[in-house]
Amino acid sequence: MKEFALFRGCTTPVRLPSYEASVIAVLRKLGINLVEMEDTNCCGSQYIESINHTAFAAMSGRLLAIGEKMGMDILAICGACSGAMKTVKHELDHDKKLRKEVNEILAEEGLEYTGKSEVKHLLQIFSEDIGYTAIREAIVRPYNGIRLSAHYGCHVTRPEEIVQVDDAENPTIIDKIIEIAGGTAVDYVGKTRCCGGPMLGMNVGLAGRIGRDKIENIRAENVQGIITACEFCNLQLTQVQFDDEASNLSKIPVMTLPQFLGPALGIDFDSLGIEMNKISPQPIIQG
Amino acid sequence: MNEVIELNQRNNQSQYTPSSAFSKEIEKTPGGEDIQHCIQCGMCTASCMVANMEEQYRPRKLIQKILLGMREEVLRSELPWLCMTCRHCEERCQEDVSLAEIFHAVRILAAREGHIPSNVQNVIDTVLEDGWMLKDGYSDMIEDDRDDLGLTTDLGWNNEFTKKIKKRYIDGGNKK
Repeated sequence: MKEFALFRGCTTPVRLPSYEASVIAVLRKLGINLVEMEDTNCCGSQYIESINHTAFAAMSGRLLAIGEKMGMDILAICGACSGAMKTVKHELDHDKKLRKEVNEILAEEGLEYTGKSEVKHLLQIFSEDIGYTAIREAIVRPYNGIRLSAHYGCHVTRPEEIVQVDDAENPTIIDKIIEIAGGTAVDYVGKTRCCGGPMLGMNVGLAGRIGRDKIENIRAENVQGIITACEFCNLQLTQVQFDDEASNLSKIPVMTLPQFLGPALGIDFDSLGIEMNKISPQPIIQG
Repeated sequence: MNEVIELNQRNNQSQYTPSSAFSKEIEKTPGGEDIQHCIQCGMCTASCMVANMEEQYRPRKLIQKILLGMREEVLRSELPWLCMTCRHCEERCQEDVSLAEIFHAVRILAAREGHIPSNVQNVIDTVLEDGWMLKDGYSDMIEDDRDDLGLTTDLGWNNEFTKKIKKRYIDGGNKK
């Protein structure tokens, strides 16, 4: 059985534990075992990254070194964490001075970055390590053509040359898996636009306007749900539907890709935390 | 045909004037390396959801201000902190300029001179003190949810490393 070191990140374990549980359950079903990383720190994305570059490189660099110590490649399920670790890996692989600096700090606790461990986002595990054929073969309870829209997450897919997940301008991994699971993948205006989540730390009102614009673009296509690949996007696209400024129309359920895929693989709802979703996904599950 | 060849040859090599002392300073800061390639076409502003929703925010204009050397105005402004680093603009930029990276460089210089928006500073302080962002948000109720899902309730975050990072790089003027 293939193994990966799972980096949970800050937000998933606290704000969306059902995502973590779904990732573990679905990947196990598809032949991938996850070992959760211990003694970790924040990846430094966005906040530390904005004030000191070496500090940022050291924080993500330490996570990469922990993966190496475990002898495994790293799976990051958050867009920001996967983007940060991939960016820092790219830099440490190309900037000897930075690598030396980071390794001096890591050596104080017996860690070292050598570049052995790869970092993958969840979408890559599906498309590269499991593959669409194996997913198709594992479907036991296909959806019945339900219309769903994919939201990929900016830091999951960009910058394309560094993260190497999907075509950044026309990503298709989530759409393919929606179709394999028996759904109908539906495009919408501004599919690759941001959910507004990264704006929450600066201006909540502005973040809400950006998120709701996306919701309304999706609503215009008359779909039953939104499928995401990052907990931050998932939380933001859910939360903006509860804002005072949100439309009075019915709320569109938002599910992470593994939580959506789980039932089609025959995984029980409790293991996927389906009851914990703030907007009930029953219209998708029953659909 | 000649025109096509000319365009290809230009590619990423050209620099465009004006280029101020401030833009050279940005160029030497991690992330700012490509600023001189900006041709001020405005594709970034046209692609930007923040600009779409907030009329104060115009990424092209911010880059223009850097190129023109309006150092104090840019470093004291909160506008460079509004970039979501979604990189929608840079996928489309014909000169491969990354505004997310340039605004990181701007923020690094601004931070060195003490201009960090207070809500950003609060998150930074939390991360460096606790080792992660959501220690205070991790309630008993969430622990119960994790338990129900068969997940570990001990998240085992390390804060010794971030404290070390703070001492080495953040306190005392961010020298590195």
